[in-house]
This record gives sequence, C-alpha cells and structure tokens, in this order.
Amino acid sequence: MKRITFITGFFGSGKTEIALNLAIQKQVDVLIDLDIVNPYFRSREQEDVLNRAGIRVVSSGVANGRFVDLPYVAKEAFIPFWDRTLRAVYDLGGSGSGARLLRQFSPYFPDSDVDLLFCVNIHREETDSPAKIIQEIGRIEESGGMRPTGLINNTNLLTESTYEDLLEGEGLLRPVADATGIPLIYTGIVSSLDRDDRPVAGEKIPLRLYFKNTWL
Amino acid sequence: MGKILMKGNEAIARAAMLGGLEAFFGYPITPQNEVPEYLSRYLLEEGKVFVQAESEVAAINMVYGAAAAGFRTMTSSSSPGIALKQEGITYLCGSELPCVISSVMRGGPGLGSIQPSQSDYNQATRGGGNGDYHVIVFGPETIQETIDILKEAFDIADYYRNPVMVLVDGLIGQMMESVDLTKPVKKRFLPEKDYAANGTKNHPGERHIINSLYLESNELEHHNLSLKKKYDLATANETRVELINMNDPDYVIVAFGTMARVCRSAIEKLAEKNIRVGMIRPISLWPFPSSVFETMDAPHLKGILCVEMNLGMMLTDVLVANNGRHSVGFFGRAGGVVPDPDEVVDAILHFNERVVK
Repeated sequence: MKRITFITGFFGSGKTEIALNLAIQKQVDVLIDLDIVNPYFRSREQEDVLNRAGIRVVSSGVANGRFVDLPYVAKEAFIPFWDRTLRAVYDLGGSGSGARLLRQFSPYFPDSDVDLLFCVNIHREETDSPAKIIQEIGRIEESGGMRPTGLINNTNLLTESTYEDLLEGEGLLRPVADATGIPLIYTGIVSSLDRDDRPVAGEKIPLRLYFKNTWL
Repeated sequence: MGKILMKGNEAIARAAMLGGLEAFFGYPITPQNEVPEYLSRYLLEEGKVFVQAESEVAAINMVYGAAAAGFRTMTSSSSPGIALKQEGITYLCGSELPCVISSVMRGGPGLGSIQPSQSDYNQATRGGGNGDYHVIVFGPETIQETIDILKEAFDIADYYRNPVMVLVDGLIGQMMESVDLTKPVKKRFLPEKDYAANGTKNHPGERHIINSLYLESNELEHHNLSLKKKYDLATANETRVELINMNDPDYVIVAFGTMARVCRSAIEKLAEKNIRVGMIRPISLWPFPSSVFETMDAPHLKGILCVEMNLGMMLTDVLVANNGRHSVGFFGRAGGVVPDPDEVVDAILHFNERVVK
C-alpha cells in the first residue's frame, strides 16, 4: 500500500466502507473524508471507531461537521502531503463530482507516493458492464485530473451478497484491467462470506460493515 | 433482470420513470437531491421533460400545468420545500389534476436539520393548503416497497385525478438496498384524459378549462361533495396496511417507514423476553387504516404503543382509530434522531410510563 491512498468510484459503490476497513486494517495515521456529495453515511460519522483504532479523522473542520452539508474541506487535509511520516487514506465523494476535489492536491503528486483506487460494484446500474466501467474511469480521470492506479472489486448486494457476486464482478473487471492497464489490486469481501477456500483477485479486504445496523 | 443495488432516492427516480413519468419539475434540497440528479440524466435521455425550476413554488405550478395538459408529472422535495408547495397542492386537488409528489423528510420546524425525521406526517396527511381536500399518502418501509408504490402511483393519481404523495424520511432516501425493478404491480382501468387542456389553435380539439374557482356557493358545495365522494372511494379502495405478528399479542406497536424497520428488531428482542408484540404498519397514511383497529382480535392486549420519529403526529390518528378501546402510549424521538431498537424495547417494558390516553 502506498503512503497516500485515495478511494474513488461511482457513488454508492461502497467507497466509504472500503476506506474505513482499509484504514483500520492497514493502520494508517489519518483518514480524510473528502465526501462533500453525500449528506449521510460519510466516514466522519465513524470518527469514534476510527479514533479508537488510533486513526485521526479530518473532514469539514466546522464544529458539528458530521451533520453539515457544506462543500468545504479543512486545510488539514493537506497535512499528509507536507508531513512525509504520515500514512493516509482519502475517502472521496462519488463519481466525477466527488473526484473533482482531487485536483487541489495534484501539485503535490509528483513528489508523493500516491495511489488512486477505483472501487466498483457491478450491481450498480451505472457500472454493470466493462464499457460503462471504463467510461466512469474516464469521467473520474477527467474531473479529478489523475488516472486511477488500481481497481477494487467491491461487488455486493449488501445483506444478499454471495461469493458468486464477487466472481461475477471479477469477470467484468478483468477485461477492464486488460483494456485500461489498471490492475485489480483489492477485493472487498464481507467477513461472513470470507473463507480460506474462496480465493479472490488481488489482496483480500475482509469487510466489517460499519454502517449496517441490525434493522437497516 | 436480477437484483441491483440502489440508493432510495435513485430508486424513487427510476421507479417514477417505470411508472410512466413524462415531465419532472423540481428544485434541489437535501436529502432528496439524487432524485432530480438521476432524472436530469435519464429522463432527458428518453426525450422527456426535466426542468430545474427557479423555486419549489414554480416547480409545483409547472406540475399543475403539465398535469392540466394531460401528462404524467411529478415533483420531489424535502420538508421546507414541501411546505412551499402547499398552495400548488390544494390547487391541484381543487382542479382535480393528477400528479406524484415524493417527499423525503428531514428534521424541522423551519430549516431544521438534514437528518432523517417523520415530523412531516401532519404536513403530508393534513396538508397546509386551504379547503376541503386530501392527498393520498403512502409511507413505505423499504426501498423495494418505495419502488413498487411509485410504479403504481401515477395510475392511482390518474384514477382519482388527485395528487399522490410518497412520503419517506431521509434515511430511506439515502440508504442502499438490493432491489428488483421488475416486480409486477396492480394494473387498473384508466379512462381517457378527456379533461386535458391539450388543444391548440392549430390543433383544435374540444375546449377544456382547468379551474378551481367556483364563485357560486351551491356550485362550490356541489364540487366539494363530489370531491368527498372521490375521497370516500379512495378510503374504501386504497387503504393499505401490513399486520405483523398479530396472533394474540401482549402489546401492539403502530409505526411506519424507517420507524417500522427499527420496531421489527425491537419486536424480535422482546420475543426473546417472552413478550409478544405485534405491529400495525400503515402503508397508506391517508387514508389511515383505522378499520384494523376495530377488527383487531387481541384478548390479552395490554396496550398500543405508537412509535414515531416525531413528538406524536400519527398518534392522533391512532387515538381516533382506537376509539378508547385500549390504552394508548407514545414513544418518539425528534430532531433527526433515529431511535435504537433498545429504546423501543424499553418503552414497551415501561409502557405504563408511556400512556397518553
């Protein structure tokens, strides 16, 4: 994992759950919530969980920021680019409009160790074919100013997910990887489905779903 | 087609398209922005009409115009935005024009918050417009149910020539669920829209006037009584309710939408303590399913607990429907707080402290 990892993808692809799990499992120092698109289910809502895992959370910087709907990100979001000892996960908002926030960091990219990972759930109608996924990658690149460096297979139907869904996702992401040259780096698998005899492409991220209440 | 994963607001938009939406007029507000955003992309692709109006008031009056011309039309908003649309809604009712309104509730009053709430129950079922009118209101519990209702909503609106509102809270709007868009819904016979003002100078048809003004008292009363007849018909035919676990319950919970989801978990937890709790889940909020309170067979019932994400709005309907038969209690959280199942469990365990009447 590179020192700085941005998570992007079509909105509703599960970026935030991936970002939370990745940040906690890889023991990064900071999680930066750049989601100014969604009003609910943002990683800043899990600040307590992240703090307990020793991870600092940066979001809007406004008091009670977890309940506001402001297109504003705290200047603290730049700190990992200035302090080279920090490892960070950046959770971008969905799609091109969310990826636009990436541009403000681009002056720092040449001398930083940065990954931009594109998260895909093929059960979202806008990313249910290789052609649509490639188109979406293009939109992210166009608006964020950086080409994704890796793919994450996060294919799921929430509570109705199966291992076969992940394999189906892999089946669509392989031709995407071939056509774009962007490798499939991670696969997110809900912990309850994760077994040793269920191999996946790339590194496995067993997922704990932080936003899934019993009744939700 | 298999299941796909959709956000509630996207599902509202897609289901409206499947229901035959031809013209959408809206104005942005959190937490329902994905509805117009989605439609701006897909409705236009299908060559239909999408307009981001200059305000909520403009949007509902554009809906009036499109409905008057005989089109399947819709607007969507959230609490303060729906408040602004009230005048348009009573005009639509008065002129007997069909439309669909999706309302994604947030905390109030005033600007309130952007967190989920059910505090527009009265706004939806009573309305803030003038005159003797009703809007047919559904309060679905899941994204799938939201889809199924929206697919049918335009038919219901056309059948009664009246606005139909689909009322969810921000949580249902923002959460995601796996859904099946192809589930069949009830079909009904719909007459030609012979009232539509769709003739033009170059395309002469019959002359139609869409109007809600009746200066003569007797004439207006006649109109009022004919609307009443229609509302009685809707009450007889469109009342929807789900009864859960109603086999000789100790307590009955009444809850709708997100609150019903939470209560399902609470009911399971209470079953572990050997307390049998049933649930009356109104799906249509207007007409309210009052008759199930009359026919309820619960010889050991200790009380009815109305649970809402507000400070007691549906409670009024529950008290009227209960008609003094059983003791009625209330538990609610407000301001955008979604209660935990344990809080509902606690309210049942301490029912006596919750009794209202």
